[in-house]
Amino acid sequence: MPTDSNPAQPSIVEVKDMDFAYGSKTALHGINLEVERKRVTALIGPSGCGKSTLLRCINRMNDRVTGARIAKGEVRVKGKNIHDADVDLTQLRKQVGMVFQKSNPFPKTIYENVAYGLRVHGEKDGEVIHEAVERALTQAALWDELKDRLQAHALGLSGGQQQRLCIARAIATQPDVLLMDEPCSALDPIATLKIEELIHQLARDYTVIIVTHNMQQAVRVSDYTAFLHLGKLIEFGETERMFDRPKEKLTESYLRGTFS
Amino acid sequence: MMSNESANPFAGDQSSAQRRETTVRWLLRLSTFLIVAVTVSIVAHIFIKGAPITFRKEFPFVNVKFLTELPGTLHVIFDKQGNAIETDVNGADGIKKQLGDNFREEKTISYSGGGILGPIVGTALLVVVSVTIALFLGVCSAIYLSEYASKGKRVEMIRLAILNLAGVPSVVFGLFGLGAFVLTAPVLTDTPHERSLLVIPLLFTKLSFQGWDTCVLSGGFTLAFVILPVIITASEQCLQAVPQGFRETSMALGATRWQTIWRAVLPFATPGILTSSILGIARAAGETAPIMFTAALAFKDKLPWQKDMPPLPADAGMFAHWEQSVQRFLGIFTESVQALPYHIYTLAARIPHNEYSERAQYGSVFVFLVLVASLAATSIWMRRRLRGKYKW
Repeated sequence: MPTDSNPAQPSIVEVKDMDFAYGSKTALHGINLEVERKRVTALIGPSGCGKSTLLRCINRMNDRVTGARIAKGEVRVKGKNIHDADVDLTQLRKQVGMVFQKSNPFPKTIYENVAYGLRVHGEKDGEVIHEAVERALTQAALWDELKDRLQAHALGLSGGQQQRLCIARAIATQPDVLLMDEPCSALDPIATLKIEELIHQLARDYTVIIVTHNMQQAVRVSDYTAFLHLGKLIEFGETERMFDRPKEKLTESYLRGTFS
Repeated sequence: MMSNESANPFAGDQSSAQRRETTVRWLLRLSTFLIVAVTVSIVAHIFIKGAPITFRKEFPFVNVKFLTELPGTLHVIFDKQGNAIETDVNGADGIKKQLGDNFREEKTISYSGGGILGPIVGTALLVVVSVTIALFLGVCSAIYLSEYASKGKRVEMIRLAILNLAGVPSVVFGLFGLGAFVLTAPVLTDTPHERSLLVIPLLFTKLSFQGWDTCVLSGGFTLAFVILPVIITASEQCLQAVPQGFRETSMALGATRWQTIWRAVLPFATPGILTSSILGIARAAGETAPIMFTAALAFKDKLPWQKDMPPLPADAGMFAHWEQSVQRFLGIFTESVQALPYHIYTLAARIPHNEYSERAQYGSVFVFLVLVASLAATSIWMRRRLRGKYKW
């Protein structure tokens, strides 16, 4: 598989020769992926190619699905195999945050939504929580809009604001990696644009891995792109290079839209 | 001959099909109207007969005596002119003396005098105890079924068992309660009863399986099992109605399963669970058979907290007073009580009927109907409101 990641930068997420199966059905075959720190990596491919499954392997969200397991290979985050017995799922997910396709703020106040992660991790100090809420909302470009109505109900926000609130909630615990599963697919173009800008800014502090079905979005937001097809990683490389000169025939036909 | 309007191309076979259509429509319509008519006539009859007993035209507009006095025997004293004076046992002698030679006859009608405070209090206690127990057990098992158990044969078996529990006749629950709670449930005591099935000596006392006797606790537990299926099913539906995304998000933020349930599922299911439970309350208040052997008495001249206690010495400290209050409070649950449905049964089936027994009969049924109907109405109203409020 052609790959052009920078060997000088140690990868924060490494997927090594991984097979992933739902029961007896293998969904991912021999995936190798190295995600560079503080960059945006996009996972693209036709629906059903396994890009969301791959994303969910990184914070072990697939654990919830009965029969789902890694059949071969391993996933390492910050150098540690996340399926080791001494890995605490709570700590893993604190450091690998996730934003979902459908914005789903809790029906609580804006403040309590952002504070949720901290409260779950046992933070009691009101001042610490308040600082974290302010920082997360600032990083999610919501602080100026919402600072006067933190106690308002989160479901009163617009769709785009709700999704940015979900991003704020995910980064309130200051994870190293932020996983995003088609975060804009339910949003209008303007809200989408705002989230894309936000992703650029987030990449200063976080490693972002984003699943998208929108190739233009991948071009706009990502530094690296991985193209998956039928559970296989076909090509992985710098986004600009891959969209200009794809090395694989399959990648080229997908990007040109002449996919059969 | 070939007129344009002559033949109707859609003419039906008037004779049979049309007539059958009309017959069926009327049959269906009449069946429906019959149900409505029966309901209306029952409710109207009870309102017409019962409302004047419970309500008053002048302030305070309710019959305070009927709602705040314990039931008692009704004494009716007739004079020679045929006038009837209704009174209770304390008033009877005075009136007889006053009438002197004019006294002709005295009739006594059991349970029909006084008010119905005893049954109201008893039913309230039974409902509180049973709903508390049923909510705790029901919500726990609903959480298990909805959040923990993996979908499969075992869960289907459990669901089937719950459905079957809902179909058990209520008198069977009564007998179960008699066997399990009245006669065998364990108690801590120094002096076990001779009927005790098993006595396990502990350090300072003994654990004796001798049952709790007929009391609020036995009845409450029995009723709890009657309403458990309703509560489990409703709670499970409410938990399932909380979007799956909340659970995913919470887990993705590092919450454990219990943290997720406690912080991101239960708070949003609770209003629905409580609303649905009100129907359980109505059911618990209405059941007669389960409490017949386990908690209810036909007659009791004391409220559950009016229990004789040894008088405290004059120099008793705060602690002794406090201890006695606690004992008095706990004693409520080990007392047998009167209950509205059982009181109605007693009035209807255990005493001779005449114009003087009607007052207590219709009054009790009216109060009971209004209580249960308002509980059900509250439930429906709250559910409507919540449905508008909780949209995600």
